[in-house]
Amino acid sequence: MNKETKRKLIAYLLVLPAFLTVMAVVAIPIFTALKTSFTDPDTGGFTLSNYGYFFTTPNELKNLGFTLYVVVVTVVLAIIIAYLLALYLRFIKSPISRAIGSLYLLPRFIPSLVAVYAMITIIRDSGLLNRISQLFGGDFKPGLMYQASGMILMNMWFNVPFAALMITAGLGAIPDSMIESARDVGASKLQVFRSIILPLSFKDVVIASTFVFMSNVGSFTTPYLMGGNFPKMLGISLFDQFNKYLRYERAAALSVIMFLICSVSAGVYIYTNLKEKEWEK
Amino acid sequence: MADRTVKLEIRDMTKHYDNGDGVEHINLKIYEGEIVTMLGPSGCGKSTILRTLGGFLDVSDGDILIDGKSIIDLPPEKRPTAMVFQSYNLWTHMTIYENLAFGLKLRKVPKATIDEEVKKHLALVSMSGCEKKYPTQLSGGQQQRIAIARSLMLKPSVLLLDEPFSALDAKIRQQMREELKKIQSELGITVVFVTHDQEEAMALSHRIVVMNKGVFEQVGAPAEIYDEPASKYVASFIGEMNFVNKDGKTIAVRPEDVSITQDIGDINGTVRTIMILGHYVEVNVQCGDTVVKCFVDREQSDKLTVGQAVHLKFAKYHVF
Repeated sequence: MNKETKRKLIAYLLVLPAFLTVMAVVAIPIFTALKTSFTDPDTGGFTLSNYGYFFTTPNELKNLGFTLYVVVVTVVLAIIIAYLLALYLRFIKSPISRAIGSLYLLPRFIPSLVAVYAMITIIRDSGLLNRISQLFGGDFKPGLMYQASGMILMNMWFNVPFAALMITAGLGAIPDSMIESARDVGASKLQVFRSIILPLSFKDVVIASTFVFMSNVGSFTTPYLMGGNFPKMLGISLFDQFNKYLRYERAAALSVIMFLICSVSAGVYIYTNLKEKEWEK
Repeated sequence: MADRTVKLEIRDMTKHYDNGDGVEHINLKIYEGEIVTMLGPSGCGKSTILRTLGGFLDVSDGDILIDGKSIIDLPPEKRPTAMVFQSYNLWTHMTIYENLAFGLKLRKVPKATIDEEVKKHLALVSMSGCEKKYPTQLSGGQQQRIAIARSLMLKPSVLLLDEPFSALDAKIRQQMREELKKIQSELGITVVFVTHDQEEAMALSHRIVVMNKGVFEQVGAPAEIYDEPASKYVASFIGEMNFVNKDGKTIAVRPEDVSITQDIGDINGTVRTIMILGHYVEVNVQCGDTVVKCFVDREQSDKLTVGQAVHLKFAKYHVF
C-alpha cells in the first residue's frame, strides 16, 4: 500500500463514525418516513391520500395557515426587536447598554418548560398582571392564553436573544471608521443606516430569520402549553396524529410537509451563505 | 509665505475623557495651504485633537474655527472637513465608483458631474480605470489612495489624515508620502496629518507639532525642530540624539555633529563598536557610563580600531 492510499484510507476511517451515525439516525428514518407517507394504511400500497388529507380537510388547512401566521409574525417581530436591540448594544455606549449586553442572553439558559410556565403565571387571566390590577380595584384580563398572541409573545422570549446574538455579531464586524467616514462625507444618521449598516448586516438578518423560522415551524412546548384546541400548530397536529389517532402514515406525511416548509427557509439560508457577493471575493 | 491667511484655528480647546485623559488649553493656527503634522507617541492626544476637528468628538471647552467660523456645534456631516482614517475607510459593499460618488449623490449632484469628478479624482491619485472594482480587490496602499480621493471629492476646506499610512509596509509608505505631498501642492489644500512616525512627519510637513501627554512641546518647521529642539523630550523624539551629562547639565548632541579627534575634545572615551551603514559609519564610543553614537565617514573609520582611546568634539549641541 503506497503512502497516498494509506492517507486516503485514514481519512475515510476518520469520517466513517460520523457518516454511519448520520445514516442510521437521520438518513434511514427520513427515507422510512418518506416511504410511510406514501403508504396506504389498509392495503399497504402506494397512495397520495395521506397528503391529500392535509390539503383538503378544512380544519387541517386552517392549522397550516395558523402555523404559518404564528411563525411569520414571530420571525418579523423577533427580527425587528432583535435588530433594534443589536443596534442599541452596538452604538450606544453606556452602563445600561453594557448591562443589557451581558444579560440579554440569560433567557436562553432557562429551560423552555420553566420559561413557558413562568410566562403563563404572569399572563393568564388570573395571573400576576390580573392580581396587580385587582390591587388597584380593576380586573384586567390580558386574554393572551390559548391564542396566537400569547404564543407569539412567548416566542419573543426564545427568539429575540438568539436573533440579537447573531445580528450583534454582524454589526460588531462593521468597523467604526466605515461609519465615521460615511458621516464625514455628509450622510445623516439615517442615511448611514440605510446605505452602510443595513447592507453590511443584511446577510446576518437573513440568516437569523431562517433560523427563527425553522425552529418555530415545528415548535411544540409553547403551543402544547399555551395554544388552544383549534386552530392548532402543526407540531401539536403531528403529536395528535401520532399519539392520539395512531395514524402513522398521516403523521409521516405531515412530517414531510413540515420538512418542505422548513426547506424553503433552509434554501434561503444556503443560498445566502453560499452566494459569494462580488465584494466578498 | 508673506501674508498667510489662517484657515483653521483652535482656541483654548479642552477635551476631557471620562477617565481623566485628554488635552487641555490647545491653541493652534493653521494657515491656508499648509501641511501641519501632529507628532507624538500613542496616547499623547494627537488623534483626540484630529477627531475634535472632524466632529467625531465633542470639545469640553474652547472653540475651533475654519475660515473664521466656529464649527464646534456642527456634526461631522456638516463640517467642511474630510477625514482619512488609519484603515477600513472604504465601504466594502460598494464599488470604487460608488465609494467616490456617495458623498456627491447625497448632495444630489447630477450624474454627469459625478462621473466627471470620479474620473478626475481617480487620475489625481493614479488609480484611473478601477471604478468597477471592489475595495477588497485592491491592496492596502491602493485603498488609502481611494480614501484620499474620496475625501477630496467634496472639496473640503481642511483634509484630516489620521495615521493613514501606518498600516502599510515601509516601501509603500514612503511612496504614499511623496504622492500625498504632490497632491497637496497641486491642490494647495490645507492638511492636518497625525502620525507617530517622526520620519514621516519630517518628510511631509511644513510645520510639526510635537506632542507629549496632551501638551504641545514644540511647534515649528521640520528643520527648526531638528536643529533647535525646545526641550529634552523633543530632542529625544526627533532623530537620533546623544545625551551626555557634564557638570550637572545634560548636553544633547546629534551623532552627525560629533567628530572623533586625537586632539583635545569635549569628552574622552574608548571605541566600543564600529558599524558600516552604507555610505557612512556608526561608531559607538564608551564615555564613562554613557555610550556616544557618532556618524563618521568611511575614510576616518578605517583608521579606528575597537578599544582605541579617542577624544570627541561636539560641533553643535544643546544644553538642557
